[in-house]
Amino acid sequence: MLDAFDLPFMQRALAAVLLLSIAGGLLGTWVVLRRLAFFSHAVGTATFPGLVVAAPWGLAPPVAALGSALLFTAGLTRLIRDPRLGPDGATGLLVVAALALGSVLASDVYPAGVGVDRLLFGSLLGLTDQDLWLAAVVAAGALALSAAFGRTWLATGFEPQTAEALGVSRARGDWALLGGLAVAVVAMLPAVGALLAATLLVLPAATARLVARSVPQLLLGSVALGAAEGVVALWLAFELDLPPGPVLALLSGGVFAVVRTTQAVVPRVAVSAR
Amino acid sequence: MSDVLVEAVGLSTGYVPGRPALRDVTFAATRGQIVAVLGPNGGGKTTLMRALLGELPPFEGRVDVHGEIAYVPQTEDARLDFPVSALDVALMGAYRRTPWWRRLGRAEKARALDALGRVGLRERAHDRFGTLSGGQRQRVLIARALVQDAPILLLDEPFSGVDRASEATILGVLQELRAQGHALLICTHDIEQGRGFDRVLGLHGEQTFFGPGAELDAAALERTYGEEIVTLGDGAAIAVQCHQHDHEHDHGG
Repeated sequence: MLDAFDLPFMQRALAAVLLLSIAGGLLGTWVVLRRLAFFSHAVGTATFPGLVVAAPWGLAPPVAALGSALLFTAGLTRLIRDPRLGPDGATGLLVVAALALGSVLASDVYPAGVGVDRLLFGSLLGLTDQDLWLAAVVAAGALALSAAFGRTWLATGFEPQTAEALGVSRARGDWALLGGLAVAVVAMLPAVGALLAATLLVLPAATARLVARSVPQLLLGSVALGAAEGVVALWLAFELDLPPGPVLALLSGGVFAVVRTTQAVVPRVAVSAR
Repeated sequence: MSDVLVEAVGLSTGYVPGRPALRDVTFAATRGQIVAVLGPNGGGKTTLMRALLGELPPFEGRVDVHGEIAYVPQTEDARLDFPVSALDVALMGAYRRTPWWRRLGRAEKARALDALGRVGLRERAHDRFGTLSGGQRQRVLIARALVQDAPILLLDEPFSGVDRASEATILGVLQELRAQGHALLICTHDIEQGRGFDRVLGLHGEQTFFGPGAELDAAALERTYGEEIVTLGDGAAIAVQCHQHDHEHDHGG
């Protein structure tokens, strides 16, 4: 297994996976606890039109993607207040619009030079120095945000109506979390693409949530599991000659299914054995 | 220095500008005073709490609050699936006084454990909040308010869904706080219990009564509850609520 990681492009991919698992695990914990999984998937998808226009407009892809993600977040925070739509309705509406716009731009307006597959699914094996630096900055940012807003996110998630009375700013905390997620998703795009960014944010934390008994356990478990799944997925992709992003998504989903099924079956087995 | 810790004068407030959910409220709570807030569901009790917390703006009149407020919400507002222990919840009371760059240390933990001890839950400190009974969860939220050590406490129906043992423990702690000079506003559906506190504030979309419990007569009760009030033979009264969601009893202590 270790031979695969002797290759420079695999070492680069390994560094990216380990760095991204820090941001994915720390922010993913709050995504799962605050029930923002759909948002984190949606904000990744919403970067698609930005990525399509980046090259034709002469923009750096991360900048175009971030602009697109922040526009989506700002639009959502306004639309979400409409009680006729609700959070899921508003998110669904905007994500469909973003995906449709990106598809039209990629197929009819800027068809040349746009690798739609790579934009949607990423390529862990073709990462640049810039991608690694962005991943490192986002890992450090996620650590800083967790230190600064951990209590706010805990109090707000546990009991939204009381958070302000406890001395934490719910609005500031929400903006920090949603903004942090948008930036983290942009950092994940080169590795896993617009459609699979939620893989790193949702699946490790959702799996750790099944067994963690406290928030610190959940934070550590999400980071550790994300890193472990990332390393195994890279090796599998190398050995089986498959794209690493989808392999990571399948592996993470499989681990979740195994843990969930084990939890559901084991108590029943114990009961029937009595 | 005035003894008044919280005061509303001609207060009208609500959720939609121009459409007050609560009108013309004037009352004051001083140090060492418990004010019972009575009224039917939808009468404006929680709206008043949110206005005192500064979450709802006054459309008319004013609110004066002299000191920090600790708020004890109804337990149904809390996420029971959250992986937090009773101690974690009590420690939230220390958030305001602990800068974000400082970890919650031994001193805060000792205060939280002491507060849990005051509500009789020291031994359950490490139990998950969601696994506790309704009465125990209510006591944990009161422990959190004790850790805040605020001069003003607002309690939104702290006796709803609470068994008698928990109710007695909670009442004991509230009387201790009163004796220490805190001002407490307690929303309750228990009219006779409310009469036993220092002052009663009646609400039914507007203020219907404010004064000592002994002066809460049948006319004031009818203004507060309308047809939902039933007067018993011994002069006591009970409110028969149309929406009983907050009268459910829990399954234990």
